[in-house]
Amino acid sequence: MPARLRFVAPSGYGRYDECVPTLQVELNRLTLANPILVASGTFGYAREMQAFVPFERLGGIIPKTVTPRDRRGNPPPRTVETASGLLNSIGLDNDGLDAFIEKHLSYLLGLGTKIIANIAGHDRDEFVQMAERLGKCQGLAGLELNISCPNVSGGVDFGTDPKKTSAVVSGVRAACELPILAKLTPNVTDISEIAQAAAEAGADAVSLVNTFSGMAVDWRRRRPILGNNVGGLSGPAIKPMVLKIVWHVARTVRVPIVAVGGISSIDDVMEFLVAGASAVQIGTANFYNPTLAGRLVEELEAALATAGYASVREIVGTLQANS
Amino acid sequence: MARDTYRLRIEAPELARQVLPGQFFMIRSPGVTNLLLGRPFALYDVWTDASGAPAGIDIAYLVVGKMTGLMATWVPGDRVEVWGPLGNGFPPADCERLLLVAGGIGNTPFPAVAREALGLARYGNRAPQAKLPREAVTFCYGVRSAEYLAGLEDFAALGIDVRLATDDGTRGHKGFVTELVANLLQGTDSRGYRIYCCGPEPMMHAVAKLTARHNIPCWLSLETPMACGFGACFSCVTKVKQPSGEWDYRRTCVEGPIFHAEQLAL
Ligand SMILES: Cc1cc2nc3c(=O)[nH]c(=O)nc-3n(C[C@H](O)[C@H](O)[C@H](O)COP(=O)(O)OP(=O)(O)OC[C@H]3O[C@@H](n4cnc5c(N)ncnc54)[C@H](O)[C@@H]3O)c2cc1C
Ligand SMILES: Cc1cc2nc3c(=O)[nH]c(=O)nc-3n(C[C@H](O)[C@H](O)[C@H](O)COP(=O)(O)O)c2cc1C
Ligand code: FES
Repeated sequence: MPARLRFVAPSGYGRYDECVPTLQVELNRLTLANPILVASGTFGYAREMQAFVPFERLGGIIPKTVTPRDRRGNPPPRTVETASGLLNSIGLDNDGLDAFIEKHLSYLLGLGTKIIANIAGHDRDEFVQMAERLGKCQGLAGLELNISCPNVSGGVDFGTDPKKTSAVVSGVRAACELPILAKLTPNVTDISEIAQAAAEAGADAVSLVNTFSGMAVDWRRRRPILGNNVGGLSGPAIKPMVLKIVWHVARTVRVPIVAVGGISSIDDVMEFLVAGASAVQIGTANFYNPTLAGRLVEELEAALATAGYASVREIVGTLQANS
Repeated sequence: MARDTYRLRIEAPELARQVLPGQFFMIRSPGVTNLLLGRPFALYDVWTDASGAPAGIDIAYLVVGKMTGLMATWVPGDRVEVWGPLGNGFPPADCERLLLVAGGIGNTPFPAVAREALGLARYGNRAPQAKLPREAVTFCYGVRSAEYLAGLEDFAALGIDVRLATDDGTRGHKGFVTELVANLLQGTDSRGYRIYCCGPEPMMHAVAKLTARHNIPCWLSLETPMACGFGACFSCVTKVKQPSGEWDYRRTCVEGPIFHAEQLAL
């Protein structure tokens, strides 16, 4: 471990004169050692990232979405780079819940960080059945409900309708003891309505957001570039939109927010914290800067200290609107 | 090296000591945010310092888009981000006759493959292999037009049998490289042969069909688009046959990029 950063508190700030900022954050029933998570679908099943990230430094890992049965996913090409962004149509390619539990879970649970399984079902019952099974897996820290995938038919239905969101979240809440993150789609008119429904139904936090639907075209061939024609946009290109969403939801709904969208530096992390997020997820940046997530925790400590904050909690939501 | 084709020499002794022929690297321009993702490039060859120790890697690339366009502006001394070696690489050439088949920029993995097969270089910690004589290695190489033929002097220096094809007939056989291969195999006893192939997909499919007909074991190096190169994104998939008889999409960057032709559901 590198030497911990020390700072002298500004006078009148506190009674201590030396401190290390507290990184721990609470998302209702879910406590994280620090607010740096890695986003579902961008970190594989963690094995793939072993060479790049000291896992135990992270606040937690959210592995790739699991569905009840195996899915081949969408035909390639599945990704294309666009201006400062990445368009993907992976389509929840995974081997299904049984294989996840057999092949990946015990490895994940041995990594010394919180593991939050991300699940997607076709209907409420599928979500509930998966939650029941995973609820019995010792050591899992929480569930993230992917009610927002733009790449499968039926996938976004839940996240675009407050009633369906509520049904899925309350069903899962009743089915297991695990803390719940509801991962929402930005492809709606008013996301705070959905966030409100998720919170009332028992979500411990909302993850904002999944990808923005979009497409890329090869006009010369008169064809969409993605095999699935359309996909979801992520990366630095979406960060301003996600900041606005986080800020908006933070001001209108009483629920902890986990921000995810285009985060690729410590400044991005700080922007989301002041805008109202209690924690963040690193997504697309894992692909082009695979060591980033592992470095951010230390950088966060330094950034808080430099700004004179003793904890993450103190800085969350401190953004002042211009009058 | 040829029209729109350049060689990039990277000083990286650690990578040079580990890499196997057919493996690849992800290359990125550090600090550039309008070109986010790294791009995959095969090992062209390892270069050594004055003492003969591996000092770095060469990449050969064709300018086709944004990143390769940027790479062409790099000058000696620039710093680049490279991660690797990635993927599986070609298996050691455990055969009596080795046929290397390249289309377009798909020639890039073959200098290292050929040097290893001839016993002129060792890669990674692979055990030394039985050497093939020069005349047992043939390189069939096809491009659109003669001006795109890249690295011919490197192949010539190895003394192997080089056969060329161009679509427009400006050099060698006029037509596809697959025709060269078909001619070569016609009427020969193909026992002991092995084929390694890299190029555009339709060309590799044609070669796979041809080799199946002649009962020759064949490995293909796929060039699927990749977003990460190390298994995290699931974007680089190709259809691979499963023990059940069904196919599944498998990640080329970790299970490939080299597959036995029989593994693929083409
Ligand atoms: C394992 C592996 C090894 C490889 N080895 C080599 C190698 O040794 N040498 C080499 O030169 N290449 C190699 N490649 C291919 C190389 O990775 C690509 O050529 C490179 O990624 C192109 O990057 P770019 O940014 O220049 O092109 P991009 O701008 O990303 O474009 C890539 C291709 O897509 C097309 N394209 C992109 N956007 C659009 C659009 N909007 N509309 C229409 N078409 C579009 C382009 O015309 C181009 O053909 C390898 C690939 C793999 C998977
Ligand atoms: C290739 C790729 C695959 C993804 N797969 C999933 C997934 O399986 N489940 C999920 O909930 N989100 C998935 N996402 C969305 C990300 O978790 C994240 O919400 C989104 O990319 C925005 O964050 P970013 O801009 O930091 O990437 C995926 C994103 C990408 C780019
Ligand atoms: S390129 Fe990301 S999984 Fe293969």
